[in-house]
Amino acid sequence: MTDLTGACMLTGALLFAVGVAGFLARRNLITIFLSTEVMFQGVILNLVGFGLRHGQLTGQAFALFLIVTAAVEAGLALGLVVLLFRRSGTLDAEAWSRMRG
Amino acid sequence: MNATFEQFGLLDAGRIAPLIPLLPLTAAAVIGLLGPRVLRGASHWPAILGVAGALGVTMIVAGYTHRAPDAAVFSRTWQLYSWIVPAAGLSFNVSFRIDPLTSVMLTTVCGIALAIVIYSRDYMRDHGHPVRGYERFFAFLCLFVASMCVLVLSGNFLLLYLGWEAVGLCSYLLIGFYYDRPSAAAAAMKAFLVNRVGDFGFGLGILFIYLWIAPLAGAGRDPLDYAVVFENIGRLEPWRITTIALLLFCGAVGKSAQLPLHVWLPDAMEGPSPVSALIHAATMVTAGVYMVVRCGAIFAASPTAMSVVTAVGMTTALFAATVAVAQYDMKRILAWSTISQLGLMFLAVGLGAADTAIYHLWTHAFFKALLFLGAGSVMHALGGVIDVRQLGGLRRVMPWTWALFTLGALSLAGFPLLSGYYSKDEILHAAWGRSPGLGLLASLTATLTAFYAFRMVFLAFHGRPRSPDHARPHESGGWMLLPMAALAAGAMFAGYLGVARDPHGFLGFVRPHDGIMQRFLLPVMSPFDALHPHLQLVEEHKGDFGLMYASAGLSILAIAAAFVLYVRRPDWPETVRRNFAEVHALLHRRYGIDELYERMLVRPLERLADGCRAWDVGIEFLVRLTASVPLGAAALLRPFLDGSLQGYALTMTAGLVLLAAIVRLVG
Repeated sequence: MTDLTGACMLTGALLFAVGVAGFLARRNLITIFLSTEVMFQGVILNLVGFGLRHGQLTGQAFALFLIVTAAVEAGLALGLVVLLFRRSGTLDAEAWSRMRG
Repeated sequence: MNATFEQFGLLDAGRIAPLIPLLPLTAAAVIGLLGPRVLRGASHWPAILGVAGALGVTMIVAGYTHRAPDAAVFSRTWQLYSWIVPAAGLSFNVSFRIDPLTSVMLTTVCGIALAIVIYSRDYMRDHGHPVRGYERFFAFLCLFVASMCVLVLSGNFLLLYLGWEAVGLCSYLLIGFYYDRPSAAAAAMKAFLVNRVGDFGFGLGILFIYLWIAPLAGAGRDPLDYAVVFENIGRLEPWRITTIALLLFCGAVGKSAQLPLHVWLPDAMEGPSPVSALIHAATMVTAGVYMVVRCGAIFAASPTAMSVVTAVGMTTALFAATVAVAQYDMKRILAWSTISQLGLMFLAVGLGAADTAIYHLWTHAFFKALLFLGAGSVMHALGGVIDVRQLGGLRRVMPWTWALFTLGALSLAGFPLLSGYYSKDEILHAAWGRSPGLGLLASLTATLTAFYAFRMVFLAFHGRPRSPDHARPHESGGWMLLPMAALAAGAMFAGYLGVARDPHGFLGFVRPHDGIMQRFLLPVMSPFDALHPHLQLVEEHKGDFGLMYASAGLSILAIAAAFVLYVRRPDWPETVRRNFAEVHALLHRRYGIDELYERMLVRPLERLADGCRAWDVGIEFLVRLTASVPLGAAALLRPFLDGSLQGYALTMTAGLVLLAAIVRLVG
């Protein structure tokens, strides 16, 4: 039981790290968005792992809830990406670096 | 008591009185809002209409006052609204008081203002084109008329103070009308600051009135209302009355340019000539005289204050008359003459002859405004030349201006049968009646007045032309000459309101003390009765013409002397000046009072200001130093916020990692 929890959490952390790396390294808006999704999955996996550890279903229920939320958010975010693409004609994130401090 | 007024219904004097300041105020607002874009060169029309409307309403109101059957009705206060401070249980009213004194003042102000607004239509044009700030000029002029009307209409000290400060403001704005001229800007500042000194005393006087009258006034009554103050003033100790009177007189000294606060008025001539005529000759500067007469109950109750008023008035009158003899700038000569004439008015008030002071104020307004407009006409024709040494021989080029100006000068000089003669003669009567010394000084002032008035006329209009070649003098147009003619009619005949026929006199010569004006003013003169028994005096002086003949003779002699010196023997004044160089220099330098103030007050204050500025710079350095800390920190951190999305994400992640590391290490 404990091993499964550890595996879940390790995989979740790895997934999150991969997401962060992708988010920082890539310039394409869609890829950046996909990286955030990967981070999301890492977090969900973490929740599942904790649910297993405490022997409750709350973690799993939250995981299901978050998957739905992620799907909704994906629709919204992709719509935004399309709009940004229409305005600047490119998917490069550098095109939106006007908020210079 | 109120029945007489109530029966007029809608045209009740109290109901229409607010229109008197409101009409010019509306005109000022209209010109101010529409002038720069819409009206432009036609900006004088709202001004003319507004002032004419105010004059019309004044006439109606004055008519009611004149027809009122008994003295009780004369002084009525109309309360417009009450400004109550609930916490203190006090009530301050916005109220107008309409009585003969108000009527005379309003007629003077609105009448002269109308003539001057019409005159300004051409004066404020340069070769037919409106000068820069044309609409600003008329807006301020209307604002002035409105403020002046509030000043004389007010029924309590609070509103009086409001009008008092508002006319001061308008005076400042109009002296500095040509604000791009450093001398005009400095003169405006000087006028404002010197008046501040007087107004400080005035404000203090009003505060003392409030402080000492409020406990006596009774609940719910406005402790600053004229009626309440005058009723209760006698219940104060004498020293308190004297304190109040002297503090109020401080304000009058400042506003009416009496010694020692006279220095601003000659400099105020930097303003346009119509402003000098209206504000600095006919109306605003006489507000001090009006105020002292209005507060007769306070002043007459304090012999000390009355002596001070007399002394200041007499000294100023003689002092300013001597200075006027040695000035060369036409408008400055007239300014010194105004100071001198105001001194005579204060002399009259101080002697208790308040109706005489108001009578002289009335006639003086006409002939002095006329003289200023005449000087303005000369200045306009010569493109700004006003120094009598550069004028001369203008009689042929500007015959109308010459004739009208000479008429004004004759009236000022006290030439027999003109307005100025009668009113000045009454003041001389009052002075001689008190003491021969005072009478002698007053007569000397009058003689000097006649001399400097005609020195100016002969230098400017007679003899050889001395004007610079580039100036091509020309006669002014009808817009300027007609108002001058109207004022000239006043300078000739306005005085006849204050005289009555006397069969004992030479050719049924008219005599003062007993005219329509004095009888009209009689009900408001009661505070002065003990000092100057008005009607009794009339009886005493019946058939007493010695002084009248003497002063007429002196004035003609002085004019003749000026004629000999400046027309027949033009080299004589030069000889006199050379032989009495020091006296001439002293008079020309105005007894050095300006320099004295400069040395004693202005320089030390400037040094104090410099010190303050240095201190301020130090403080500001510290403030900037403090401000530079967050600025420097921001400059340090700014590179991390480069605007790129991933830059922010990187910073955020790094921060998160750092935080996690700290938690790990510490926890």
